[in-house]
Amino acid sequence: MNTVKNKALKQLLWVGMGSIAMFFAGLTSAYIVRKAEGNWVDFILPEWFVYSTIVIVISSLILIFATQRIKKNKEIFTLIVIVFLLGGLFTYLQINGWKELTSMGVYLTGEGSNVAGSFLYVLTLSHLVHLAGGLIALLVTAINVKKKKYNSESYLGLEITTIYWHFLSALWLYLFFFLKYL
Amino acid sequence: MTNTLIILVAVLIIAALVQITRVSELLSEIKKQDPNKVTDSNNKTQGILFLVVGSAFLIFVVWQMITWNHLLLPPASSLHGQEIDSLMKVSMGLILIVFFALTPLLFYFVYKYRGNKNNKAYFFAHNNKLEVIWTVIPTIILTCLIVYGLRTWERSMNPDLSQAKIIEVYAEQFKWTARESGTDNKLGKANFKLVTDRNALGVDMNDVNSIDDKVVREVHLVVNKPVLLKFRAKDVIHSAFLPHFRVQMNCVPGLSTQFAFTPTQTTAEMKEQEGDDFEFVLLCNKICGAAHYNMQMSFIVETQQEYDAWIASQKKLSEKLLTQK
Amino acid sequence: MSEHHHKETFITKYIFSQDHKMIAKQFLITGMFMAIVGMLMSAIFRVQLANPGESSFLYNLLPGDWINEAGALNPDKYLALVTMHGTILVFWVLTAGLSGTFANFLIPLQIGARDMASGFINMLSYWFFFIATVILISSIYVQGGPASGGWTIYPPLSALPQAIPGSGTGMTLWLISITLFVVGSLLGGLNYIVTILNLRTIGMSMKRLPLTVWALLITAILGVLSFPVLLSCGLLLIFDRSFGTSFYLSDIIINGEMLHNVGGSPILFEHLFWFLGHPEVYIILLPALGIVSEVIAVNSRKPIFGYKAMVGALLLIAFLSFIVWGHHMFMTGMNPFLGSVFTFTTLLIAIPSAVKVFNYLATLWRANIRFTPAMLFAIGTVSAFITGGLTGLILGDSALDINVHDTYFVVGHFHIVMGLSAIYGMFAGVYHWFPKMYGRMMNKNLGYLHFWATFICAYGVFFPMHFLGLAGLPRRYYTNSAFPMFDGLSDINSIITFFALTGAIVQGIFIFNFIYSIFKGPKASTNPWKSTTLEWTTPVERIHGNWPGDLPVVTRWAYDYSKPGASEDFIPQNVPLKEGEEEH
Repeated sequence: MNTVKNKALKQLLWVGMGSIAMFFAGLTSAYIVRKAEGNWVDFILPEWFVYSTIVIVISSLILIFATQRIKKNKEIFTLIVIVFLLGGLFTYLQINGWKELTSMGVYLTGEGSNVAGSFLYVLTLSHLVHLAGGLIALLVTAINVKKKKYNSESYLGLEITTIYWHFLSALWLYLFFFLKYL
Repeated sequence: MTNTLIILVAVLIIAALVQITRVSELLSEIKKQDPNKVTDSNNKTQGILFLVVGSAFLIFVVWQMITWNHLLLPPASSLHGQEIDSLMKVSMGLILIVFFALTPLLFYFVYKYRGNKNNKAYFFAHNNKLEVIWTVIPTIILTCLIVYGLRTWERSMNPDLSQAKIIEVYAEQFKWTARESGTDNKLGKANFKLVTDRNALGVDMNDVNSIDDKVVREVHLVVNKPVLLKFRAKDVIHSAFLPHFRVQMNCVPGLSTQFAFTPTQTTAEMKEQEGDDFEFVLLCNKICGAAHYNMQMSFIVETQQEYDAWIASQKKLSEKLLTQK
Repeated sequence: MSEHHHKETFITKYIFSQDHKMIAKQFLITGMFMAIVGMLMSAIFRVQLANPGESSFLYNLLPGDWINEAGALNPDKYLALVTMHGTILVFWVLTAGLSGTFANFLIPLQIGARDMASGFINMLSYWFFFIATVILISSIYVQGGPASGGWTIYPPLSALPQAIPGSGTGMTLWLISITLFVVGSLLGGLNYIVTILNLRTIGMSMKRLPLTVWALLITAILGVLSFPVLLSCGLLLIFDRSFGTSFYLSDIIINGEMLHNVGGSPILFEHLFWFLGHPEVYIILLPALGIVSEVIAVNSRKPIFGYKAMVGALLLIAFLSFIVWGHHMFMTGMNPFLGSVFTFTTLLIAIPSAVKVFNYLATLWRANIRFTPAMLFAIGTVSAFITGGLTGLILGDSALDINVHDTYFVVGHFHIVMGLSAIYGMFAGVYHWFPKMYGRMMNKNLGYLHFWATFICAYGVFFPMHFLGLAGLPRRYYTNSAFPMFDGLSDINSIITFFALTGAIVQGIFIFNFIYSIFKGPKASTNPWKSTTLEWTTPVERIHGNWPGDLPVVTRWAYDYSKPGASEDFIPQNVPLKEGEEEH
């Protein structure tokens, strides 16, 4: 399993995730710098974002479980589908969060908007865009699992999807706590 | 027309040279020599060329320094500017010494060690002592330069503002406007939302400090008296550049910036020194649109008497504008 | 990596190739094409500067509405040319053209690998770059023209089409193009890092890597850490431009219209931009220095002096490059203490740079120099690095920057370090590795002519600029005739333009030599420069998988030139140690 090729491909993913992390580091640094300048409206983060956090953490846990199962050559198709659906649920909850924000008067732009709101939308939207990539990866993995491509000896595709999905969860946890407490 | 001719001639020359080279390549083929092998004769020529062109380059540098010295900015006409000029002399001196040491050394080495089939290179792969020496010495020199530079910077950026006359400089596409703070030496508050045709700087006329403010199209300063310039911008980033005073500061919409200095020479003195058409001038130094190259405002440094006469002739804002709600 | 036994069609061999050598050549050709475009732009605006307000036949190259009725260039289109020139040269030529070519070509060959870790991602990296190129070029022809706010695109100027026409569609296309460019760069960088870390052949420890590979590795790391911040910077700008947010915009009245934006700060943009912007110039410089290390060693027939110190200097420069960005912002009104911090870190970066120069000089000392055209350019790089690097000490000192910031002094500085030093490094790389890339030799005499003409013209263009700067002349000025104080500088301007036009034409020698030699150059031998590195052990006919049989096994470092006791003045890296021979 740990051939040079597999090791290299996983490293490609790690470096790529490092780049993505730097992208969000740029955005969150901008947030911090801008907040320190004042004219910043504080607001309470809608509950929807708490639910979505729980959902994505659960989806990661399920993927961990799935990885352990494949090492024992057990069936994992259903689990992958569940994770994919949880990803969809996460998206739905995020959108609901945005809807509640607009009803609270926190807008991305336009009359009455404040840069604090703008940052929140930009950060969560950026995360969602990267999550879309994760959903595609899950889809491909699900199809491959159905085609019986993975077994206890070789499951690189699943590993890659899993690592990336955990990254998305960790990234969301960082953003969630950042937005809630900073 | 001259440009066209130059380019045409150059193109023809290159075409000719190219043909010559191709012919020489074919000749080498006929003589069964490798046309692209670098020979000892090549090495000699190129080595000599480095010495010759290298020397010409250094002479060219010196020629430029001598010929164009008179075109450079005159010595600073401000207090902090004089300190900056001293720092500049020291720094320039340092880098010129290093430049005139290393550049000839480089060209000399490549000349002296030009290749020859009878020579052998000396297998000298590393020497820790040398590395330490040429790390430590630059570090020491640079540390001194840094300390000197930071002191000058600190003194330029943190002058004593207690006596400074406050003048606002307002930047927009494509002109400068200034606002004198009047006898109270306080500028009235301003807000971009208050800008109208008559109140081009958006001054809040309800602020008591605005009453004696005066909007002017050229800035007059009193020699040897400190002045604090406060900058605002209307549309895009501009930069207030007063090269003769060694003053530069970005003017950013949504932000206020400032720079304080003390002029040390009157315009009249400078005219005697530099010629009758000398003016202190404010330029824009941050790309701001099509007419970025033509945003100018005059700065005139004069005696207290001359300044008093001038400012008295300028109208107060409160006389020009109606009070706004 | 397994050999690729599939049959190659024209498409898979030349267009959608996954072979790193072909991808490298794709980057090179695209980079050279863009270099010509960027250089023509500079020729055009230099003509305007020397003959302000006059017409020139060169303007016929431009879209019709860029010229006014008098036949002169429009001022805002002058700024468009300057912007596109900067964008094209900094990103397209010196980043993609330099790193993209040499990282792709050299890394697998010099480390003894069959190809990059992922040929597919590598192919994607070129095609993202290609599409970015098409979009950027098309932006020249849109209404309003291309982006015109300087390659540094500060808002509000770059956010508001009312401020300058190029900030309309042109700027939108610029942002799309740069996004694709960055993605392509990142995809490439991922491959370079992972390949170097994982696919080195047996015996190729990190300590035996040629300096070129070290430089390319460190450059790639710089890129993956800093380019994404440009994306976040650009994303917020896109929101301000198209969705009415106020990240960077505040308190603006433009063309009589009061904008709704409040609370934004253009300085925030500058921080984010320069966080990439400064590492970017080292992303440009380091590969050039890596190439120069190689070319100087081979042609001096001596090891590069101080291998470990050179690697250490590269690492230190890379690390420091992340903490100096504020020196581009000394005059923004930032807290003076912050200015002090950035002065301190900026002047520190001079130390590893100086160490590298001294090591190059020590390599040349008691060498046996063979002057190939590549070697000439490598020496040119060192000269330009000394000249340009030293003026950095003036600019990096905040107090001195007050009077030289945004003047021609800085234009002279960055052109000498990037336009001379880095471009010469690129030329050196092309001349040196052309035999390996195309199996033929470039013409030596044309190479000599190209070097000397370029070397003379280039210093003729950029050295005088320091005097213009010290005379107070700002950059990005359409003409210098609006202020009487600059009237005395018109002679200098004419001299610069003369050298610029001549220098531009002279590059025709190189283009001719390059194209001619691909088809008609004499066939190269396997190792025409008698170099020690692994790429010269592959057959002249380039094959998929690089080596026909087993991969070479490395037994020594890359610099056994003129080793005492050896029969020849070089020992390739895969030659086993003799009885009793010690590795350096």
